[in-house]
Amino acid sequence: MRRIITILLTTVVVLAGLGLFARATSSGSSVTKPRLERSIAVSFSNVYSQQAALLGHKGISPKSLHAQAMCDKGPGVPQNGPGTSWVCLMSWDDPNVPMPTTGYGKFELSVHSNSCYTAGGPSSLIGYQTIAAADGRTVNNPVYEFDACFDPQSDNTPTRVTFPSAVRITSTTATPDDSGRLRVDLACAEGAGGCRGTLTGTADGSPLGVVDFSLTKQATDSLNLPGALPTKAKNVTYTVTTTAGVAPPPLVLPVQR
Amino acid sequence: MTLTATDHRRVEATTDRAGFGAALAFEVRKLRAQVRVRAVLAGALLAPVPIALIIHAQGNPPKDTLFGRFATTNGFALALLVLGFAGQWLLPLLTAVVAGDIFASEDHHGTWKTIMTRSVSRASLFGAKTTTALGFAILGLVVLAASTIVSSVLIGGHGTLTGLSGQLVPPATAWRLVSASWLSTLPPTVAFTALAILLSVWSRSVAVGVAAPAVIGMVMQLVGATGGAEALRPYLPTTAYEAWHGFLATPAFTGPFLIGLVACSVWTVLTLGLALAITVRRDITGG
Repeated sequence: MRRIITILLTTVVVLAGLGLFARATSSGSSVTKPRLERSIAVSFSNVYSQQAALLGHKGISPKSLHAQAMCDKGPGVPQNGPGTSWVCLMSWDDPNVPMPTTGYGKFELSVHSNSCYTAGGPSSLIGYQTIAAADGRTVNNPVYEFDACFDPQSDNTPTRVTFPSAVRITSTTATPDDSGRLRVDLACAEGAGGCRGTLTGTADGSPLGVVDFSLTKQATDSLNLPGALPTKAKNVTYTVTTTAGVAPPPLVLPVQR
Repeated sequence: MTLTATDHRRVEATTDRAGFGAALAFEVRKLRAQVRVRAVLAGALLAPVPIALIIHAQGNPPKDTLFGRFATTNGFALALLVLGFAGQWLLPLLTAVVAGDIFASEDHHGTWKTIMTRSVSRASLFGAKTTTALGFAILGLVVLAASTIVSSVLIGGHGTLTGLSGQLVPPATAWRLVSASWLSTLPPTVAFTALAILLSVWSRSVAVGVAAPAVIGMVMQLVGATGGAEALRPYLPTTAYEAWHGFLATPAFTGPFLIGLVACSVWTVLTLGLALAITVRRDITGG
């Protein structure tokens, strides 16, 4: 019995020693931003071509898509290592599916330490879990969610692909406070360079003023419009112009008191 | 047939000192007589059939595991899904059933004195037992691989496989890649065999020899998946169980397989060397 306990203890000590050695000499994870960006562009192009063949879209090949990706693990964390917070923004050329104003779609990744990941894309661009094939059958959408693995020793030089963040107004109603002023919630999504610009408010044609904003990526802020809301106003229109980031189209919100 | 003088000398030489060959024949004979060994081999041959049937019949494919997404519709994916599980604990356990027992059972039965007093060197005896354990590991792996691939493809069909870069793999290539993937688990299985032998020699306990390799395998996977110790990953034998991922990608990559091959060789040499040293230095007169 003593022998077995000795062996178990030795094993634990050896493993702990190896662990400490690894920690001390750690060169970091093999899961890195450049490797993910290269890998997802390739695997996406392959599954997207499969989808195009199913849908009967002609002239789509992995090469013709020119897919490019920019991946981000989130603000304030090292941009490497496995995790479920990886987001990749990707652009590609398909005449059948126009890109949104931002020019890219957002993919959410769950990346494992063994260099394999599962990616899920935006339904607005790639469709839902099942699609109607050209021959009338309902088939699984190969792009909706896909698995891929990359070489942990592959090229790790930055891809230099960048996409601007999208600005989004997250308020769903216009509710004035006691002094009749409006507060607007703004979000700056994933992307490079953050979001800067101005927000202009008008209530049924009469101006409510202009506010400047400056947000880092993946952050939110609340802006106070200087002008008071006319008592009879029914709708408020918010217009965003940006010097950094992509502005959303003007948003009309109903006034709720 | 008449025997010449040379033949007589040769016969005397082999009977005089039972060498590696005789010890090996004896170990193989002992192994073949064990019900447990026959049961494991029969399991490796037959178990893949119900496993493939059950996974194939699932309404929702097991998407959280690699190739699970296609496991209900494609036989090649089904065989690779099973391979993913086999590498986690099944193969270390399969080999440990024999390798973890082959030395410790002599302690269990108190037969060290009997075999050590025979005119066979300890190194020969060690070599024979190790060769037997390695032979069983390879046989078990090949039987399990062949059975899984054939039953999976018969049950799931041999359609076009979607690889790990989203590429389509035609059936003829898929046969080759799936077989190569299963065979790529040979180096880590050999490393786990050596580890089981070391634990068996060292602990003199069958329970430790059989169960500990699978447990250590689990711990290694945990270590490899933990943020701080990720740098250790390439050098763990458990990582080599995942080296086949590279075969299914395009362009295919074999870096993890080659590193795994070197790492597993080092593990095997170190653990077997330690086990041999313990066997040779061991005092059997005390029990």
